[in-house]
Amino acid sequence: MTSTAPARQLLDGCAAITESAIAAGCRFFAGYPMSPFTGLLENMSRRLPEVGGHCLNAESELEAVNMALGAAAAGARAATGSCGQGLALMQEAIAELALNELPLLVVNMARNQQDYFQATRGGGWGDYRTITLAPKDVPEAVEHTQLLFHLADRYRAPVILYGDPLIAQTHVSVDVAARDFDPLPPKDWALDGTSGGTGHSRQIWTWAMGKVSAPGPGPDRHWRAVAAKFDQIAHDEARSEAYRIDGAETVIVAFGSAALFAEHVVDELREDGHRIGLFRPVTLWPFPAADLAAATRDARRVLVFELNAGQMLDDVRQFAHDRDTVRFIGGVSIHASGLSYGPLLDVAPIRSRILEAVA
Amino acid sequence: MRDEVIITGIGGQGIQLMAKTLALAATRAGLQAMLASDFGGEMRGGPSQASVVVDDQRLRSLPILPAASSVVLMHHKHSEFALSRLVPGGLALVNSSVADPAAIRDADVVAVPALDIARAADAPNAAGFVMLGAYMTLRRLVGVTALGDAMRELVPPYRAQHVAANLRALEAGAGAVFAA
Repeated sequence: MTSTAPARQLLDGCAAITESAIAAGCRFFAGYPMSPFTGLLENMSRRLPEVGGHCLNAESELEAVNMALGAAAAGARAATGSCGQGLALMQEAIAELALNELPLLVVNMARNQQDYFQATRGGGWGDYRTITLAPKDVPEAVEHTQLLFHLADRYRAPVILYGDPLIAQTHVSVDVAARDFDPLPPKDWALDGTSGGTGHSRQIWTWAMGKVSAPGPGPDRHWRAVAAKFDQIAHDEARSEAYRIDGAETVIVAFGSAALFAEHVVDELREDGHRIGLFRPVTLWPFPAADLAAATRDARRVLVFELNAGQMLDDVRQFAHDRDTVRFIGGVSIHASGLSYGPLLDVAPIRSRILEAVA
Repeated sequence: MRDEVIITGIGGQGIQLMAKTLALAATRAGLQAMLASDFGGEMRGGPSQASVVVDDQRLRSLPILPAASSVVLMHHKHSEFALSRLVPGGLALVNSSVADPAAIRDADVVAVPALDIARAADAPNAAGFVMLGAYMTLRRLVGVTALGDAMRELVPPYRAQHVAANLRALEAGAGAVFAA
């Protein structure tokens, strides 16, 4: 097989993300099995060796993320992943990646939407953020995978793809091809593994002190520069989608798979004469604050639907045109197995919660 | 052209392979397909269900179907969800060797004694492919040959001995019903 997959295949999300990552040049993956992430690890372990890459089944999520950190430090396009429970263990390494300016794709093949805070606030130390994209379906996950590798390299930062069981396991006919992006600067910072002399031997992080002969900026200037970079990303990289928002009195706000269902309900309710639209943050961080404010300017009510106790709700309250119009219509809903969504992620309950709120 | 089917039954009846065969055959024929599976942790005997949507346009579909134009019912057990999503007057293709077609209301019920037909075709483990063959005669999304090719592609090497029986079952099922 070649690194570019043939056109139009029937793939589940895990296989499709794998092919997309390979098309983007990913050649290192490490992970530890955990449902629904396991499918991604299985696909990577089968496909990466076929294209000259490496996939390691680590002994824990800590080991996996730090292996991937090492590969990234050596200049490889690298990725790791788990579900939210595993990403919880990876937080320290993700912070180190961000503060040491190393690019890495972290796939959260989440069991539900309860990891919004984890993705957008992070749990490591220091002033850092993680660009997080939340695809609504498999074709978008394919697109986001390649975009995220590009953004990670461009900004030298760890990034998150926020998937879920529906994206992991649903098969669709997809075309996976390498996408073109603007050229990236060379990775002249990558470690070369030599025992000294090059300035890039074995350590990226030396408190930014540099050498006696060539002093670095030091931690203060380094971390201020990193913070400024994240401010710049917040300004430049927010992405969102407004769906049937024209003349909408009611604006639903939802992300990921929940937005796909909300979109369907919006179509149904528009047909019944309701003036309703959908706003979807595509990047969870940076949160598309200005776009949300614009999309909700004329709305009488802003209804937040997410499959958790109300996490994105904080951001919507913060950035909607009028916070008093914001109401929460989502909730915790977990499948009996604990591994997927419960019955709330379905057209009928979403529809009835919206109708209740607009009555 | 758009077709939405929920295939339902119990684990071990071949529900997932039927659904994947249909979705792959449609993809190979240049159509768009979506397949969403739902099954328990048990190897056999638990609920097993799959939704397949086929479209000749850009496919937009929810992985949990709010409505389906047809249901293929391999077993009455665990079939409540699928039947609740069937549009009024939709097609219910029922494996009448196991399930009672008279129990299904508000549907265009077509009974196929799939197990009996499979046994007669010397393919006793392939009742699912009998149903899939019959479904294709009724819906005409792809030909039986295309289904056979997709099945051959999906069956792992250690199950290759069943390919011939599966093909016989597909043919027998396709001939068991009449297109409207």
